[in-house]
Amino acid sequence: MKRRMLQKAICFVLSVTTLLGAFGVSSFAAGETERNTNSGSAATLDEMRELLGLSSYADYSSNHSSSEWDKTLSEIELDVTRLDGDGMLTSESEDCLKSQEADPEAWGSFGDENWDSSVYLPTTNADGSKAASATWHFNLTEEQTGLYYIQIEYYNCIITDSLYGKSSVSAIQRKLKIDGKVPFDEVSSITLDKHWVYWGEENMTVSAPTEVTSKDKYRTPGTYVYYETVDNKKGDEIGQNGYYKHSVKVYEDGGKLMKVTTTFKMAQDINGNSLTPGLIEESVWSTYICKDTTGYHDGYFTFLFAEAKEYTITLEAEREPMIIKSIKLVPATGSDADIPTYDEYLKAHKDAPRASGAITVIQAEFPMAVSDSSVTPSNDNSSAVNFPITAKAQLFNVIGETGFSSVGQWASYSFTVNESGMYNMSMRFMQSTLQGMFACRTIKLAGGEYGLPDGSPTVPYHEAQFARFNYDDKWQSEKIGYYDENGEKHDFFFYFEEGVEYTLYVECSLGDLKDYIERAERSLNNVNDCYLQILQRTGSEPDKNTDYLFYESMPEVLVTLLQEAEELNNIARSLEALCGTKGSHIATLDTVIRLLRTMGTDYGENIAANMSNLKTYLGTLGTWINDSKQGVVMIDSICIVPADSNEELPRAKAGFFKSIWFEISSFIYSFFTNYDQMGLTVEPTNDTDTVAVWFASGRDQASIWRSMVDADDGFTKNYNTAVTLKLVTAGTLLPSILSGDGPDVYMGLAASDTVNYAIRSAVIGVSGNDKKVLTEDQNIVFRSYIYENSAGNRVFIEIDDLGNSIYRKPSGSGYTAMTSSEVDAFLANSESYKLVSLPYDEIRNSFAPAATNTLELLEVYYGVPNTMDFSMMFYRMDILGELGLEVPESWDELIAMLPVLQTKNMSVGVAYISALDFMMYQMGGNMWKYTDSSVYDPQYAGSKIDLDSDIAIKAFEFVCRLYTDYSFPVSYAAADRFRTGEMPIVIGTYSDIYNTLVVYATEIAGLWEFCPLPGSENEFEEDGFNYDSLAIVTATVILNGCDDLVTAWQYVQWQTSASVQAEYGNRIVALIGPAAKYETANLDAVNDLSWTAREKAAIKDQMANMNSIKNYPGSYIYARYMKFAFLDVYNNGANAYESMMSYVPAINAEIERKREEFDLPTAETAEEALRRATEGSKN
Amino acid sequence: MSFKFNLKKRNKAEEIRSYNGMTKLQWTWKEVLRNKTAYFMLAPFFTLFVIFTVLPVLLSIFLSLTDFNMLEMPEWQGLKNYIRLFLEDEIFILACQNTLIFAAITGPVSYILSLLVAWFVNELPPKIRAVVTLVFYAPSISGQVYLIWKTLFSSDSYGWANAVLMDLGMITEPILWFEDAKYVMPLCIVVALWTSLGTAFLSFIAGFQTVDRSMYEAGAVDGIKNRWQELWYITLPTMRPQMMFGAVLAITNSFGFGGVVTALCGFPSVGYAAHTIMHHLDDYGGQRYEIGYASAIAVVLFIIMFGANRVIKKALSKVGES
Repeated sequence: MKRRMLQKAICFVLSVTTLLGAFGVSSFAAGETERNTNSGSAATLDEMRELLGLSSYADYSSNHSSSEWDKTLSEIELDVTRLDGDGMLTSESEDCLKSQEADPEAWGSFGDENWDSSVYLPTTNADGSKAASATWHFNLTEEQTGLYYIQIEYYNCIITDSLYGKSSVSAIQRKLKIDGKVPFDEVSSITLDKHWVYWGEENMTVSAPTEVTSKDKYRTPGTYVYYETVDNKKGDEIGQNGYYKHSVKVYEDGGKLMKVTTTFKMAQDINGNSLTPGLIEESVWSTYICKDTTGYHDGYFTFLFAEAKEYTITLEAEREPMIIKSIKLVPATGSDADIPTYDEYLKAHKDAPRASGAITVIQAEFPMAVSDSSVTPSNDNSSAVNFPITAKAQLFNVIGETGFSSVGQWASYSFTVNESGMYNMSMRFMQSTLQGMFACRTIKLAGGEYGLPDGSPTVPYHEAQFARFNYDDKWQSEKIGYYDENGEKHDFFFYFEEGVEYTLYVECSLGDLKDYIERAERSLNNVNDCYLQILQRTGSEPDKNTDYLFYESMPEVLVTLLQEAEELNNIARSLEALCGTKGSHIATLDTVIRLLRTMGTDYGENIAANMSNLKTYLGTLGTWINDSKQGVVMIDSICIVPADSNEELPRAKAGFFKSIWFEISSFIYSFFTNYDQMGLTVEPTNDTDTVAVWFASGRDQASIWRSMVDADDGFTKNYNTAVTLKLVTAGTLLPSILSGDGPDVYMGLAASDTVNYAIRSAVIGVSGNDKKVLTEDQNIVFRSYIYENSAGNRVFIEIDDLGNSIYRKPSGSGYTAMTSSEVDAFLANSESYKLVSLPYDEIRNSFAPAATNTLELLEVYYGVPNTMDFSMMFYRMDILGELGLEVPESWDELIAMLPVLQTKNMSVGVAYISALDFMMYQMGGNMWKYTDSSVYDPQYAGSKIDLDSDIAIKAFEFVCRLYTDYSFPVSYAAADRFRTGEMPIVIGTYSDIYNTLVVYATEIAGLWEFCPLPGSENEFEEDGFNYDSLAIVTATVILNGCDDLVTAWQYVQWQTSASVQAEYGNRIVALIGPAAKYETANLDAVNDLSWTAREKAAIKDQMANMNSIKNYPGSYIYARYMKFAFLDVYNNGANAYESMMSYVPAINAEIERKREEFDLPTAETAEEALRRATEGSKN
Repeated sequence: MSFKFNLKKRNKAEEIRSYNGMTKLQWTWKEVLRNKTAYFMLAPFFTLFVIFTVLPVLLSIFLSLTDFNMLEMPEWQGLKNYIRLFLEDEIFILACQNTLIFAAITGPVSYILSLLVAWFVNELPPKIRAVVTLVFYAPSISGQVYLIWKTLFSSDSYGWANAVLMDLGMITEPILWFEDAKYVMPLCIVVALWTSLGTAFLSFIAGFQTVDRSMYEAGAVDGIKNRWQELWYITLPTMRPQMMFGAVLAITNSFGFGGVVTALCGFPSVGYAAHTIMHHLDDYGGQRYEIGYASAIAVVLFIIMFGANRVIKKALSKVGES
């Protein structure tokens, strides 16, 4: 008995200790997970988990229909000035005051009364490290509980000068939280439109008001529009030639009829090609009612405030600053209650007469305003009856390329009709992308009986959201309408009153397709989950002969596969019924359906054999969804057609002979087109004051540079110097230098080439002390502040090491010191002089030292960094969150999470070539020996490779181990695997991967982020870790043979300056879309590019952790031998150390040979000198 | 026979010259004037030929004796480049070895393959022949189509070859086909053979069709016993010009097969496993800006090709001999 007691006691004690131990361990573990996040730009586990827990609006709203909420409520306005967080009163915000002072016109519509009652909500907090957020508190009483819309009155302010993030081209995006939580997925990113107009002062003229006479065509009040092309054959009347839109406004003033004509001109180059219009953001007060940005849900979101208590509404910034005047809760009794159906609408207007008379034609390429800077007109010469058209040049005549196809984008047009009554609407359009399917647009109206009181547009009736555009590879001219369930088309009728100015909004929407696309997207996600589940069991290459017993281990996967096959089949069949045909676009779905059926049947026996197919088809399905969402409808013109009109609609197709003639003349004119002059607005002259600039890129890029150079605040006007820009193919530079026909400046030369050309004296150094490379005259240019007065006199002021100013002036071909009287004269007159050029040392600070260093050789800097790309880490938040893994901050953490990933058959993608490099620098190594200029003579730098050092070998061994021991794949399609989730972490160059994922993997938008690289332990760092990434730099360089160094240097400064780089980056995104993010090297320019607050923080974080491999003669050689060594280890299991060491002599030999070629001291000389120096110090 | 005739004619011309008491130069000039129409008609081609073929060859011989970096004036170096090429440059020797292996396998094999395939295809009825010809000729007209080998032998575990081998359980980790020194050379040879059925093959088919049918009848009368004899004694000797053309193409292709290797294996190929003289030339000319040295390599390649050409000519003259 006693023994039993003892046993019990021991058992008790043991169990208690075990329990305590477990607690201890878990608390220890918990302590460990709370780490110091030093970078802070990566998402935390909690944030990633929150993402997982989000429900959709459908779930959120499922209990809203309960009759309990069916009660009458009144509008509640929140006191916007009572808030927590980063928001501030506009009158107290320096940003707003400063920006208004800088450009009062842009703030004209703001209104003085709004300064104290509005809240300015910036993008980030003061140091740019965190997204700004503001929270409003309010109480609801029992009577006030119920369903509401959230309505925000906002101003898209233009902030030009700020620590909190300046305005850029993107739309305003915010995260909406209620009580500190995102209520449902769809509002985790809401988009508030900006207003963009094309018409700056140079492209718009307003006539003085005159009285309407009987000769005038328009004699009733209203706004009338007509178009005109002027094509004087004589070349000297260039200013008159062009394509115009005239908008005549007739109004009553003191009993008299007056008219004002506003003329818009489509900008053209000297050859008559249309120029991409410079979009101007127009600040206006707008009303936003919280709605779906994906297009799946029409109408507005209803929010349930069920309890009587204090609530909070939080807006967290993602992109762009904004000003909020009011936030209102507007009662919503049920969704769509405020929008009538078409039948109701017709009933309300049943007494209206049918209008008759002439058709009003609106040319679509001339919108009043657009929602997005990418909605720009474009040229289409595929039909000879597009208006306007010429075989000689490319005139903008349509709108609606891919930049105008995303849900929510709109373009607006204003018009007036001559007769009250019922009208149809027709469009001349082409929808040739969704084969066998249709695209949809929403028609919104403002003015008259339509729209909100403040002028924001609304849909006139429910069906106007479903205007359908059928497929045809030719142009069509049709009345627009919707299709009912029976597939019958109903043309839209609208009631327009005479003399009222209406605004028509054509907005991209998913229309009838939305349910199908949403269902397909849900299917895709479900099948993707199945794929991941199967993958976690079988790996990426399942063994066909193994029976994985899927029906036992994961029966639900089989069921899901079949269910989704059925679902997709239903979608495909209904779409077919809807479209009436089975086009190739729908047929794509059938192949996916067949595969899913095969995999789901026969107890899953076919799963293993079809895994890689499934992966491909997941991609196909994703692309299908993406394409369906972005149906492109090109619109040439919009007609307001009186219901009883006897006029014919514009012709869809040109007649046979007209087409043929147009084709022939286009062909002939193609021989006379000077493509070098594309976009040129000023006839080039043979003046000496011309900088010849070359660069290798695309035409869009070229046209942007062209217009930036020619702009009012551009280079030509500012520096009084013309620029010839030439688009060349890469590789043209070398032969041109050889033949002496090279340019003055080249933009975008790779750093390695820059140094290569520099040692062969083809590039002029922009700063340095080496007399052999730079003449004193050249040095004066690059070391001086240059002042110039209106007469063209220049004064060069150099500040020497002691801080004294040296004044020089040009004399002959060189420079002489100014006499003291001349200096006094200059100082007395200094305000008439303008600073036109800065010394290199001042420009240099705008760039990461890592970037400028790659352009240095023997202490001379050749060129100024243009772009800088580098590796960053991309991760899938949903997958890491589900697996409970933190974003790794060091390589040890990354390796520690591998077991979890690998048991799920997931892997990490790192390109070995870049890993070999950055790992060495992270561990504190360097590619070259003798680089430390404080210890060694700079001429010895780079005379020997440092790959045989302990650190380099350690880094090399570590990278090899990643691929051999930890099975990182060496070769993989990063975007594919990241998309399916097989590779939740991918490390690669940030601009490449970001730009690919943004367009290619839209279905995972919002599920991924990127952050700085994981760090390696490094004793030299404060926190013991080094997170460096390596800069890949291209430079803007001045070439030898440039005759006017000062102007070339001015151009280089202008082109690499923060404002120009930011403008270019924003314009390229505006023109090409979000997948054209520009990787500028200018550190300040990054602030103004259209990244979200989080993305910006991550990029800046990595930019603060940069390093680079310097370029020396022979530097091409190490990369290939490092690759050989790595492949030797990977393929043949060679010893990493031996393998690397075996190549080091070959590398050193090549470097030595190259250095001898350029008469540089070799490693031998360097070592000899060092030995002597140490001996000397011993003695 | 024809050779003798030429000799005779030339002797006669010589006779006339010495009879007139003119120097050789005067005589040539006179002859040129007399045949000026012919020279005039030859001039366009000849000018182009000199500018684009003869001059570059001469220029590269000149440059091979200098040190030229494309951006600065060349400096005279004498034979230094050649000495370095043969005595110091190990990789050049490796490249020569690779090139010779490559040429020795792909040259003859592709030549014989073209010939045999052309012979077989020629036997088909005309309509089918046209289709089959297209099938064989397609790889060489459709430019970069060899890149499908890159998909086939992708290093990714999703690449076809890797996927099949992994399915069969023969490997567990994907093989880096084009980045593994073991596989690079054989794979490149296979791809080279696949693309080599090009112009030579087409000219052979044309050659087969120019053979006069009556020759076969005459041959049959003269005692030709089988198809092989027919091929050797009648067909091949008749189409010697086409064969020469094919041979020249085969030589240039097999020695100059650089671009495809670069596209498949990257540059330079791993461990220089498929580094040919062409690559070596690119390496020095394009990457290191040592045009002088690159020219020396080009001259060596030119001499090797020229030599190979002579050898082939000799060999072809033996065709049809018993």
